[in-house]
Amino acid sequence: MNKLPLPLVNLLRKPGRTLALALLIAFLALAVFGGSVVVLSLRGGLQSLEARLGADIILVPSEAQSKVSFQNMFLQGTTGAFYMDASVLDKALEVEGVEKAAPQTFLASLKADCCSIKIQVIGIDPALDFTVQPWISRSLSREMGDMDVAVGCKVEADVGETIRVYDQRCKVTARLEPTGTGLDTAVYCNMDTMNTLLRAAEEKGVSHRIESGDSVISAVYVKVRDGADIDAVNSCLNGHIRKVTAVRTRSMITGVSDSLAGISRTVTILIAAVWVLAIVILLLTFVLIIRERSREFAVLRLAGASRGMLSRMVLRESALCGLLGGVAGTGLAALLLFPFAQLIESALNLPYLMPETGTVLLLAVGTVLLSVGVAALSSVTAAYRLSRVDPGTALREGN
Amino acid sequence: MTVKAEGVSKRYFRKAGGANYFYAVQPVSLEIAPGGVTVLTGRSGSGKTTLLNMLCGLLRPSEGSVWYDGTDLYALDDKVLSRLRSGQIGIVPQGRSAVDTLTVLENILLPARLYRRPLPEAAAVQWMEKLGIAPLRDARPTELSGGELRRMAIVRALAQEPEVLFADEPTGDLDDENTRLVLSAFRDYAHEKEKAVFMVTHENDALQYADRVYRMDSGNITRQPG
Amino acid sequence: MKKSMIPAGVILVLSLVIVIGEMTFLAPCLHEDGAFGPCHWAGRALLGTGCVLGVLAALALGVKRVRPGVYLSALPVCALGILTPGTLIDLCHMSTMRCRMVTQPSMIILFSAAMLCALIGAILSARERSHHE
Repeated sequence: MNKLPLPLVNLLRKPGRTLALALLIAFLALAVFGGSVVVLSLRGGLQSLEARLGADIILVPSEAQSKVSFQNMFLQGTTGAFYMDASVLDKALEVEGVEKAAPQTFLASLKADCCSIKIQVIGIDPALDFTVQPWISRSLSREMGDMDVAVGCKVEADVGETIRVYDQRCKVTARLEPTGTGLDTAVYCNMDTMNTLLRAAEEKGVSHRIESGDSVISAVYVKVRDGADIDAVNSCLNGHIRKVTAVRTRSMITGVSDSLAGISRTVTILIAAVWVLAIVILLLTFVLIIRERSREFAVLRLAGASRGMLSRMVLRESALCGLLGGVAGTGLAALLLFPFAQLIESALNLPYLMPETGTVLLLAVGTVLLSVGVAALSSVTAAYRLSRVDPGTALREGN
Repeated sequence: MTVKAEGVSKRYFRKAGGANYFYAVQPVSLEIAPGGVTVLTGRSGSGKTTLLNMLCGLLRPSEGSVWYDGTDLYALDDKVLSRLRSGQIGIVPQGRSAVDTLTVLENILLPARLYRRPLPEAAAVQWMEKLGIAPLRDARPTELSGGELRRMAIVRALAQEPEVLFADEPTGDLDDENTRLVLSAFRDYAHEKEKAVFMVTHENDALQYADRVYRMDSGNITRQPG
Repeated sequence: MKKSMIPAGVILVLSLVIVIGEMTFLAPCLHEDGAFGPCHWAGRALLGTGCVLGVLAALALGVKRVRPGVYLSALPVCALGILTPGTLIDLCHMSTMRCRMVTQPSMIILFSAAMLCALIGAILSARERSHHE
C-alpha cells in the first residue's frame, strides 16, 4: 500500500509519461538558464573590458598599428612585442588636453627550455598606471618588488611558485581576479623587472629591435581631461609625436559591443522560439493527456473527489513535472556551462566573464520556478475543462 | 437514509427532428427506502442509467429535486456533495471504473483516502474474500479481467459502508456463480445493515433478490407488483 | 536482463568514450613542435584508467557472482580517473590550453558519471543478492 500523495503516485507509476513531460520542460530550462548565463557573461566581459581599458587613447609604434592584432591582444591574449622610445610618454604629456599618461612594455616569453610558460609579460609603472594597476592592487596590497610578478587568473601558477622567463626566475606574488579578457592570460611586473627580462631576452638572441638601451616602452595609455575633445587630442598626438599612432579605444570597444549585441539578440530570439514552441506543445500535451485520462478522473469524481480536488491534483502533477524538468534542465546546463566555460569563451572569441555565484544561484532558482509555473499554467485550461466534465457522461464514453 | 425523487427529469437538446429537445427521463417520483433492494429494469436506452446518475448526485436533473433525508442533493455545493459521495453514497458504474496507476486495494480504499479518513482496510479485505478477489489485492487494474474489475468496483462501493448503494448493471460481466454471489451480497448488505440498495439491471435473475421493482420504458417509470 | 546490469552497460559505454576520446576528440594538447607537455602523460594515464574501467564493466555484465564486488572496485578506479588530470599529473600552465579547456572537464564529468553508475550498480546488485538469500 503506497502512502504517497496521489499526484506523486500517478507520476511514479506512469514513468514514461512523466519523463516525456519532464524532458520537454528540461529543454525549456536548459535554454533559459544556459542562454541567460551566456548573455550575462558576455555583458560582464564587455563591462570588464571597458573598466580595464580606462584609457581614451592608446599610443603604439606605427608598425604595430594593425588594429586586428592589437585587439586580439586584449581579447585573446595573443602575444606580441613592439617597442618605441620611452620619451614618447613625456611627449604625450605635453599635448594639450591630456590628463594622464602611463607606459606599458610587452614581452613575449618562448615555449622553450629557458621559459616555463609561453606567455605575455606586461611591464607597468605602478605609480602612473591607471588601467591595470587598480585591478592588480585588489589582489596585491603591497607594491611588486624586483623579480616579482602577478599572474592573470588563467595562468596556472600558484602564489609562491617561481616561473622562469628567459632563465630569469620570477616569483608569483599574486593571482589576479578574472576579467574575462586577454588580460587574464598575461603576467604583470614593474618596469625594473621588465628591463631585466628584456636584457635577458636579448642575451638569448631574441631580437626585439631595441634601439636605445633601457628606455623602451610598447604603449602609452592616455586619459583625456574632462570636457576636452578626444578626437582633437587624438589628432594632436598623431601630429606631435613621430613614428607613433594614436588609436581611440572606443573603436575597439564598439567592435566588441556590436558583436555582443548580435549574439545577445540571437540568443534571445532562440530562447523565445524555444519557449513559444514548448508552451504550445505543453498545452496540447496536457489537453491530450487529460482527454486520455477522462475516465480515470470520472472514477475519482464518483469516489468523492470534488472539482477543486481534481484541478489541484492535475496542477500538482504538472507542477511536479515542471520541478523535475526544471531541475534536470538547469543541472544539465550548469554541467555544460561551468566546466566548459573556457571552451565557450574561446569559441565565442569575445570577452566572457561569468556572473558571480550568487547571481548564478538566483538565476537557477528563477529558472526552476519558471519551469514549475509554466508547467502548472499550461495545465490550467485542461484542469478547468476537466472539472466541468460530467462524470456520468465520461464513464459511459469509451465503454 | 431514505432517498426521494420528486418530479425528476432529464431532457437533452437535439438539432434534428421536430421538437428541439427530447426527454431521456420523463418526470419521475420514487422512493428508495433503507433495509431493502430496489431494482430498476427496462430495455437498453430506456433512461435507466440517466435516472441512476441523477439519483446518486452525478448528473443534475433538468427539473425536479432529489432529497436525501430532507437534504436537497442538488442544492448542495460541489464540495459538500462530493464529500457525501465519498462517504454516504456508494456507486458501482457501468464499464471499467479503475484508476490504472493504483493497485486493486488502493482503488478500493480511494474514497477514504481522498478525504484522509481512516482506511477501512479490514472491511475491504473481508469483502474481497467474499467476492473472490482477495488474491488480487496488489495487482494493477490492467492485469484484471472484466469480471474481476467489476467485483473490484463493487467492493470499493461496499467497503465504505455507504448509506445508499447505487449499482448500474453490476452483474453485466459476471458468470452465473459470481452473479449469485454479488446479488446475495447486496441483499444481505441491505437487510443486515439496514441500508438502501438501488440497482439497475436487465437481468431477470436479479428480480428474485429485489424487495421492490420498477420498470422503465422510454423514460417513463412504473412500479411492478411483487 | 537484470536491473543491476544496466549500470554496467552504461559504464562500459562511458569507458569506451573515455578511451576513444582520449585518443581523438578529447585528446590533450598537441604542441606544434611535437614535444610532449605534462598533459600528454596525464592523457596516457587516463587511457589506462579508462581501459581498466571498461574491463570491470564487462566483468560486471558477464559474471553475476562477482557483480557487487566489481561495482565497488570500480569506485576507486573512477576516483583515480577524476584525480589524474591536474591533481595527480600536471597539465599545461594556461587555462586556455586544450588539456585544461577540453580534456580535464570532460574526463572529470565522464568518470563522475561512471562513479555514480557504479554506486547505483553496487546498491542494486547487493539488493538483488539479498532477495535471493
